[in-house]
Amino acid sequence: MEKKAYTDKVHTWGKIWSLSALAVLYAVPLVFSVRYNVFPQLNLLLKALSAVIPIYWGTAIVEVLTYTPMLGAGGTYLSFVSGNIANLKLPCAMNAMDRAKVTASSEEGELISTIAIGVSAITTTVIIAVGVLLFLPFAHFVTDEGSAIKPAFENVIPALFGALGASYFSKYWKLSILPITAGVIAYIFLPTLPVGTMIFITIVVSLAGAFGMYKLGWVKGE
Amino acid sequence: MDFRTGPLMYALAAAVVVFVIAQSLFFIIKAWKRARELGVESEKLRQTVISSALFTIAPAVSIFATVLALASALGIVLPWIRLSVIGNLAYETVAAESALGVFGSSIAEPITDPEKFSTVAWAMTIGSCFPLVLLPIFCKKIHKAMGKVTSKSKTANVLGNILGTAAFIGIISAFIAKSIASAPKDGQSAGVLSVATLLSAMVFTIALDYLCRKKELKKLEPFVLPIAMFGAMGIAILLTQILPPDIAGLTWR
Repeated sequence: MEKKAYTDKVHTWGKIWSLSALAVLYAVPLVFSVRYNVFPQLNLLLKALSAVIPIYWGTAIVEVLTYTPMLGAGGTYLSFVSGNIANLKLPCAMNAMDRAKVTASSEEGELISTIAIGVSAITTTVIIAVGVLLFLPFAHFVTDEGSAIKPAFENVIPALFGALGASYFSKYWKLSILPITAGVIAYIFLPTLPVGTMIFITIVVSLAGAFGMYKLGWVKGE
Repeated sequence: MDFRTGPLMYALAAAVVVFVIAQSLFFIIKAWKRARELGVESEKLRQTVISSALFTIAPAVSIFATVLALASALGIVLPWIRLSVIGNLAYETVAAESALGVFGSSIAEPITDPEKFSTVAWAMTIGSCFPLVLLPIFCKKIHKAMGKVTSKSKTANVLGNILGTAAFIGIISAFIAKSIASAPKDGQSAGVLSVATLLSAMVFTIALDYLCRKKELKKLEPFVLPIAMFGAMGIAILLTQILPPDIAGLTWR
C-alpha cells in the first residue's frame, strides 16, 4: 500500500516536471524570436520538420516503450528530460542497480535508479557548463586533429560498453551471444545503419532469444 | 554582438541548467528519503552517488566535445542548451542540417542570419520534445501494466526479470557491434582502435571484478567501471602513440 503511494507520487511529480520542462524547452526559441523579432516562416519550418518528425517522433514512441520499464518511474522522468539515455543514463542506472544487487521492478531498484540517473544528469550538466564557460579556449586539446588525447574521446563508446558488457556478459553469457552476433552480422551487410535502428534490431533478437531459452529451460532466472 | 552568443542566449542556457539540476536534486532527495524509510543503508546510497558521478565523467566530456562539433555553425550556446535537455548529437545535427537545408545552407558554415537561427532553434525543439508529451500520458500506464504482469505470479516475475536483462543486453550489444563492425556515413568507422579499446575495457573490468571478489575489496566496487573505462581510453592513446599510424588508424572499410 505504502509502495503504491510513493510511486503514485513519483508519477504526479514526474508529470509536473515534464510539462515544466516542455515550457522551458519552448522558452528558448520563443524568447529568441520575440527579442530579435524573427519568427520562422511557417512553410519553411514545416518543410524542415517534415524530414525530422517522422523519424524522431517515431523513435520517441519506441524509446518511451522500451526504456520506461527498465528505468523505473523516477528514472524515466529524469532521463527523458536530460537526454542521452541509451549511451549514458540507462547504462549508469543499470550499473548502479547491478552493483547494489537490486532489480528495476523492486522499489529499492526504483530508488537506486532514480539516484543514479539524477547524479548522472547533474554531473553531465555541470561538465558541459564548466566546459563551455571555462575550458572553451582549451577545447582544441580534445578536438584538434593530431591531438594526443583525441583518440581517447573518439573511443568513449567502446570503452563504456566494453566495461559494461564484460560485467553483464560474464553473468548472462547465454543471453548475450545471439544479440551480439546478430548486431555484428547486420553491420557487416549494412555498415552505415544508424545505431538507433540497430538498438531496435538487437533488442528484438535478444528478447526473442531470451524467451526461447526460458521456454527451453536453458535460463532459469534468479 | 553575435546574436548566437549574446547575453540573452547565455541567460536562457543558465535557466535550462538550473532547471535540469533542480529537477535532478528534487528526485534524488525524494528517492533518498524514501530509501532511508525502507531501511536502505546510507553507505549503499553514497556508493551509488560516487559510482554514478565517476561513471558519467568520460561520456559527459565526450558530449561536451559534440557541443563543440555544432558550435562553428550555431555558436556555442544553442548546442549547449540542446545537449543539456533531451538532445543528442545525431538528432541535433540532423535537425539543424534539415532546417538549414531549406535555406540552401548547411551546418558546415556559420549562421549569420537570425531568421535562419530561429528556424533551426524551433526545428530542434519541436522535433525533440515528443517524449515529454508522451510521458505524462503513458508513463504511469506502462509501469502499471508492467507491475500487473510481474505481480501476477512468481513465474511471470522471473520471466519479467529475464526479459528486462535481455532488453538491456540488446542495447549493449548494439553499441558493441557498432564498435566491432560499423562504418557510419559521418563519424568514426570500427577498426583497430575501437576493437582494442573495447577488448581492453572488458579485460580491465573482469580483472578488477576478480580482484574485488578475491580480496573482498568492497570499497573498490563502485570504481570498477570508471577505472576500466579510463584505462581503456588510456590504451587508445597509448596505441596511437606506439603503433605505426597506418595500423593505429586502420578501419575495416
